[in-house]
Amino acid sequence: MKRIEPLNCLFFLLSLPLILLLTLPLLQMTFQPSLAMLMETISDKEVMGAIARSIGLSLGAGILSFLMGTPLAYMLARKEIIGKKIIEGIIDLPIMIPHPVVGIAILSLTGRNHPIGRFLSDIGIQIMGTRTGIICVLLFVGLPFYVNTVKAGFESVPIQLENASRTLGAGKFSTFLRITVPLTWRHMILGIIMCTARAISEFGAVVIVAYHPMTAPVMIYERFTAYGLKYSQPIAVWLIIISFGLFILLRMLSNSTHPQCR
Amino acid sequence: MIHLKNINLRVPGFVLKNINLHVQKNDFFSLIGPTGSGKSLLLEGITGLLPFSSGTLLVGNQEMTRLAVEKRNIAIVYQNFALFPHLTVTQNIFYGVAYHSISKQTALKRFDLLVSTLGLKKIITRHPQTLSGGEKQRVALARSLILNPSVLLLDEPLSALDPIFHEDAKQLLKKIHDDLDITIIMVSHNFSDVLYLANRGAIIKAGEIMQQGEIATIFERPNSKFTAFFVGMKNIHPIHNRNGKIIVKEENIEITPSSQACSTAQYMAIRPENISLKTIGMEKFENCFTGKIERITSNGVFLNVYLQTQNFQFEAIWPRSYLRDHDLDIGNSIVFGFHPESVHTF
Repeated sequence: MKRIEPLNCLFFLLSLPLILLLTLPLLQMTFQPSLAMLMETISDKEVMGAIARSIGLSLGAGILSFLMGTPLAYMLARKEIIGKKIIEGIIDLPIMIPHPVVGIAILSLTGRNHPIGRFLSDIGIQIMGTRTGIICVLLFVGLPFYVNTVKAGFESVPIQLENASRTLGAGKFSTFLRITVPLTWRHMILGIIMCTARAISEFGAVVIVAYHPMTAPVMIYERFTAYGLKYSQPIAVWLIIISFGLFILLRMLSNSTHPQCR
Repeated sequence: MIHLKNINLRVPGFVLKNINLHVQKNDFFSLIGPTGSGKSLLLEGITGLLPFSSGTLLVGNQEMTRLAVEKRNIAIVYQNFALFPHLTVTQNIFYGVAYHSISKQTALKRFDLLVSTLGLKKIITRHPQTLSGGEKQRVALARSLILNPSVLLLDEPLSALDPIFHEDAKQLLKKIHDDLDITIIMVSHNFSDVLYLANRGAIIKAGEIMQQGEIATIFERPNSKFTAFFVGMKNIHPIHNRNGKIIVKEENIEITPSSQACSTAQYMAIRPENISLKTIGMEKFENCFTGKIERITSNGVFLNVYLQTQNFQFEAIWPRSYLRDHDLDIGNSIVFGFHPESVHTF
């Protein structure tokens, strides 16, 4: 018979409350609304619009973090730049700052009283109460997750592979595309997932910058304050189900390539 | 073929100082030195991956000091082979072809030749992770050689191999050099590998070239205490000369050197394998000593035997069978010696 290790038992007992803390509230919330209530909620165009908006804008933030965060992550992983530790600290800042503060900070920068705000306004970019504003704050809160994940990916590629590619005649950009990207694109997908996931859950910064157009977390909050728990729960359940399905799909996509690339 | 003139290369915590090297066409040139001496750094400098702080690099008649890495056509095979894990063996070998003006027909012809020469036929569809160390090395060589590089750099090519592949790899490198008429610069810290493979070389210590020239010359006539020690000499002692004899400074022992010994030499060294037991019927050594076997340490097939005379210690290397045949053990008194030709001075 398999012997039970006392240490394993102790560790399991200590872990159990944490697992329960994470799962019980979510399970309770997920199974509390009736099926009829869930179906009624999903047929509500406003709800579906808010969920689609949340996911779409969050994916947009994820893709923007891919486009802009990849070069930054590569530089941080590969180059000895002055003030690297400070830049790394700045990238981690959004994890620490209370998110309403992020919203307030962005608004104060992009308002009419600030030159940047006036410039943006002059070229037709509005932040307050727009999708652009929402993407801006979602990118702000999600970027650390993308950059840190992809930076770890770049660091895992031995520099000698890139060097060997260069000595074989490939230029820097060609080496990046043919060696570095194929060996790190999994980290990029994971980074996009992490950034998007973080963005979908964002409430504090979004509610300051754009109460409307309403994202799902803002709508959950609105329904909760206006109608109570019963009317906010089904939206939360649908948001969880759809996001969960989306992330599983992305994970499957990133695992389906050639095993040698891992 | 390759000239390095007054090269300096600085990286944090290390500097290559005033390197002057001359590698001739079709040389198998070896950079030899202990770990951390700057050998690999110099290779990276030659490839262009690390820029030289000052000095000039000429390959043929072309100055390459400031030329981009990808334009030099200098290939490098790393100690860990640096094969691209997401590509098959074939894809790895063809990787660089796209960046060189090599026709498809020529590339295919070279590929076929390399596959047969290096014995890669059975593994061309595999990925590097599934290959043995020896196979990886052959693929890395093929990946470089298909480009017909002006120089092939080998960074410790034999260090990462299991002992069973070591000998095969040595033979293969020799064959590649002989068959393809290619100039090779190999970094190594193993002098026995160098002795077998290279015709010329340089000893490097703490970023400075200590000696360069024919490998046989470096091996037989080291010019410094460091080089002597590095090429396997022992019994290295400071000396002065008196009437054609060597006087070991520490113990005032008189040793007869060969007639070619330098009169201004400051050190002498004797290879441990050149010290022999004097046996009955053997001609007289000019340098003959009586002493005791003080200590014996194992060195695999060979044994390091420490011979203590009245006031001096010699180190000899003898095969196990030699001690067994002469019934020798620690504490035995013996007569031993060496010929004047075995005494190296510098």
